Amino acid sequence: MDIDFEELAIFIETLENTDFTHFLYEKGDVRIEVRRGGAVDMPAPAVSPNSVAAPPSPSALPAAPAPTPASAAAPVGTAATAPVHTDGEVVVTAPLLGTVYLAPKPGEAPFVEIGSAVLAESSLCIVEVMKLMNTVHAGTGGVVTAIHVRDGELVEHGQALFNIRPDAAA
Amino acid sequence: MSSHRVFVANRGEIAVRILDACARLGVETVLGVSAADTDTLGARRADRTVVIGPARSTDSYLSIPTVVHAAIATGCTALHPGYGFLSEQPELARLCAENGIIFIGPTAEQLEALGDKLRARELAASLGVPLAPGGEADTLTEAQALAEQIGYPVLIKAAHGGGGRGMKLVETAADLENAWSVASSEAESAFGDGTVFLESYIRDAKHIEVQVIGDAHGHRAHLGERECSVQRRYQKVIEEAPCAALSAENRQLLHESALRIANALDYVSLGTVEFLYDVQRERLSFLEVNPRVQVEHPVTEAVTGVDLVREQLLIAFGEPLSFEQADVTVSGHAIECRITAQDPDADFQPSPGRVIRWRPPATGGLRVDSHIYEGYLFPPYYDALMGKLIGFGSDRDDAVSRVRQALDRFEIAGPRTNLPLLQAITGHPDFANNTVTTHWLEGMIKEAVHG
Repeated sequence: MDIDFEELAIFIETLENTDFTHFLYEKGDVRIEVRRGGAVDMPAPAVSPNSVAAPPSPSALPAAPAPTPASAAAPVGTAATAPVHTDGEVVVTAPLLGTVYLAPKPGEAPFVEIGSAVLAESSLCIVEVMKLMNTVHAGTGGVVTAIHVRDGELVEHGQALFNIRPDAAA
Repeated sequence: MSSHRVFVANRGEIAVRILDACARLGVETVLGVSAADTDTLGARRADRTVVIGPARSTDSYLSIPTVVHAAIATGCTALHPGYGFLSEQPELARLCAENGIIFIGPTAEQLEALGDKLRARELAASLGVPLAPGGEADTLTEAQALAEQIGYPVLIKAAHGGGGRGMKLVETAADLENAWSVASSEAESAFGDGTVFLESYIRDAKHIEVQVIGDAHGHRAHLGERECSVQRRYQKVIEEAPCAALSAENRQLLHESALRIANALDYVSLGTVEFLYDVQRERLSFLEVNPRVQVEHPVTEAVTGVDLVREQLLIAFGEPLSFEQADVTVSGHAIECRITAQDPDADFQPSPGRVIRWRPPATGGLRVDSHIYEGYLFPPYYDALMGKLIGFGSDRDDAVSRVRQALDRFEIAGPRTNLPLLQAITGHPDFANNTVTTHWLEGMIKEAVHG
């Protein structure tokens, strides 16, 4: 049978977010086996742990750490939308490529400014893709400590948008 | 040309090919990459690279609004879709046109007409282009009558399939009912349209295709034919130009038929008109039109001396074709081998991973189109093509010996590749004798495993 790369990628991406040590999938003559934790015998072209981290984005944002260094199926890069911790702060990244708007409408006050207190569900900005508006939420309650983008500029997938210092209670 | 800026909406070797053609024209480039492709050769070569989405291609390379938004926001005037991904999507061509971006390819209307295989078949029939017997049937009763009329075996094809997808072979009348209903429902779920049609099945055929090109000023020409009979599961493995098995008479019929279709569509840009050639009956039949640059375009470039991607770019910018039909000559013979990261000893399982060694041979009469470099991490998310090795010689035998020598000297370590298979094919007497048809490779692989 042919293994569909994309299907395989989806498998791996899904597995990455789950807690498991041994996963076996069989359907017809398809058999996918993934183990992690502990040493795994790998063929020569194994993905080395150092190679797993995504390369730095133009904003020099530290890449998301590789999920499981010992994983036999360690993927290249991780979901870039996941918040990244730097010095205890959370970096909110662009979930998709588009034009970023820092205010709900042109001329209105911005959603947040440096020093604004936000809740997890607070809106921080809009990323527009071909007139489709996607609201970006804070995801974490805290205080906005940095805004990395200017209103109306193009942001790439995974680009850093805001830093949030989480509430002590969080 | 410097007033143009091209957005490249693709990856891999074809992205590099397009970027290089743009660079030679002095045209700036922006490459849209997924998060998994930021350290590709294309990303190094492009004037600018933007990350358009995550590794998964449905959210990056296959997202029409994202690609067009990225092209607009980076000040591009034109967009090249390459092959595969979005290259044949009328929606992309339309959205580009609506936003003042030149789509480097045919018009949305032409893509629509050619994406419907049944419509394309009807067009070919109306132009007197040779065609396998068959046609549309709305009900099972009609299908049964049609199959009896054209004779078994028959192929059931999805109107919106293509490239071997959505096809069912029916050997006897008893199997038709089941195959008919399965094919329609599969077509419905895979292509969103359950329309299927019947065609007489040609068991022993060579795959032959004609490269056509047209500009916006009504000039059209063909650049001869290619043969792509070495296939596995409808995926081409080795292609060559010209086809050495055609009579002069059939070659002329082939070229005229392809041009007739291009002319009827007022075709603009690069296109390939595909045919099957029944070797026993010496009969051609139209298959479909691929409205894009093909993976195998370098073999045509080798024997005609025409830079197809350069012409495609210039045509999109409104320039007239730089040559006329009378200027096109075919000399020598070229053979292309697709090198893939697939293990032929493990049922062609993909073999991604770090490329430790990549040493293509460097001698006369060779070309390598590839995005691979030593140290590159070949990702598991996309297709397995690592590169294309093209050998050029004064005649077919010469070209065969060039690629054989080049394959022997090609050093690759890291991912397992199909190099041993390519060596076995090009060293096989059937390949040397040019008797290969589209089912030959599957048989040859079985023999190698069990014999």
